Amino acid sequence: MSNSNREELQAFSKIVKATQGADFGPALQSSLSRRRFFIAGGATISFGALLAACGGSTNTGIARLGEAPTKTELVDAPVTDIALLRTATSLEHNAIFVYETVAAAGLLSGDAATLAARFLSDHKAHAEATASLTEKLGGKAYNEPNPRLQTIYIEPALRLITGDDASGIPVTDDPVADVLALAYALETIAGSTYQVYVPMLADSALRAAAIGIGEQEARHAAVIGSLLNPSRLVSSFGLSIAAEYQEQTDVPAAAYAVPSTFGTKAPVPVVLGAANESGIRTSLNLETPSLNSMVYEYLDGE
Amino acid sequence: MTASNIISVSPVRPTPADTVLLASAQATALAMRDLYQAAVGAGAGGEHVACLVSLAAHHDAYAQTISSLIGRAAPQARDSEIFSSNEGDFGSDTMAVALAAHALENSLVAAHTQLIGMLEGTEGAALIASMVIIEARHVVALAAIAGKSPIDDTDLFLVTPEAAQADAQTTTTVA
Repeated sequence: MSNSNREELQAFSKIVKATQGADFGPALQSSLSRRRFFIAGGATISFGALLAACGGSTNTGIARLGEAPTKTELVDAPVTDIALLRTATSLEHNAIFVYETVAAAGLLSGDAATLAARFLSDHKAHAEATASLTEKLGGKAYNEPNPRLQTIYIEPALRLITGDDASGIPVTDDPVADVLALAYALETIAGSTYQVYVPMLADSALRAAAIGIGEQEARHAAVIGSLLNPSRLVSSFGLSIAAEYQEQTDVPAAAYAVPSTFGTKAPVPVVLGAANESGIRTSLNLETPSLNSMVYEYLDGE
Repeated sequence: MTASNIISVSPVRPTPADTVLLASAQATALAMRDLYQAAVGAGAGGEHVACLVSLAAHHDAYAQTISSLIGRAAPQARDSEIFSSNEGDFGSDTMAVALAAHALENSLVAAHTQLIGMLEGTEGAALIASMVIIEARHVVALAAIAGKSPIDDTDLFLVTPEAAQADAQTTTTVA
């Protein structure tokens, strides 16, 4: 409120006091300018609000239906080293699930099947390592696939490859290419996850252990990238190098042995499944586990 | 669930001890850049010359990023010992270059993995982690450039040799 407004309000209050109980005559009414009317109105509303705020808990007379529900307190879910390790283990089990499903379906053969078996073996070793670290910290190891990632990434991706009659999803035209594309994305994300966890882990020894596993996931991805794109092993996108060494295209390839200068946290797109009637195939974006995908310790009690 | 409740009391910025370690990592990155550039200058690479040029650019980027993290403490000069002891392998023979670089990148993966365990500041640890992930991929690309098969020579692609890990212990201790 400005000084001039305050002065006018004080003057008006004096007038009201002086005329309490009196019959307002035409003279006084004419002195109430439009502006003063609004000031008086404002003062009345403010006073009413003050009275309301000072009121007790007695019935206000305002109609109300039903009872307010009891508030559910949010679960305290700290991102501890144990939660990070449990999530890492769960991600390893997502990969194990994929490779075991692919093997059981006989989707790969020859060299691709040999490599997939090696990757499966590595993921089992990684899962054992992260589970062991979890228990050393006093936590309970989580030896199942990450439920959220399984639901939003893994199962839809595998349905696109193997087909699903119930959902009307046909079998993909090229299962081997699709499995390799999915494996490339999954291994890339696995490596990125350990990279992301390094600064989140409180124990520096665990950081080294985490990246020690992450670099092996990155190697898996790189091997697949080298098979999918043998003519260009290292992407030139984003590099300040001479034009003669740049790729002659504006669109990066779907896979490289080395796709970037630094390990990124970016989602990895993967195109899977048979084309629809418009010739379009389904694209999924795989991402590193976010806060709502972590396997917190409190989940064991649910 | 209350989100973003991350439990870590580590410093964010590099500590004085971190800065010494990161300075050493920058000198190593510059030596790697110069070795790749020497090989390309000598005519190595063949159909993969663009890859060698790109790998040099990666290590240059690592050096620049470390410099931006530690500022004036960055040496801005290559590790002359690494360069001179490996320069002979980075000539015109593409396969010899690829195998020598493969060994060096494996050593870097091992050394930087150990370095992450020694760094206190999370910014430095995060940066080195993002380098390790790609250095591991460098190893695979170089094995492929050297003509190795991921089926017949699987461990060349997927395993950090024990010798590299032993080197890493020495390197990080000295650093």
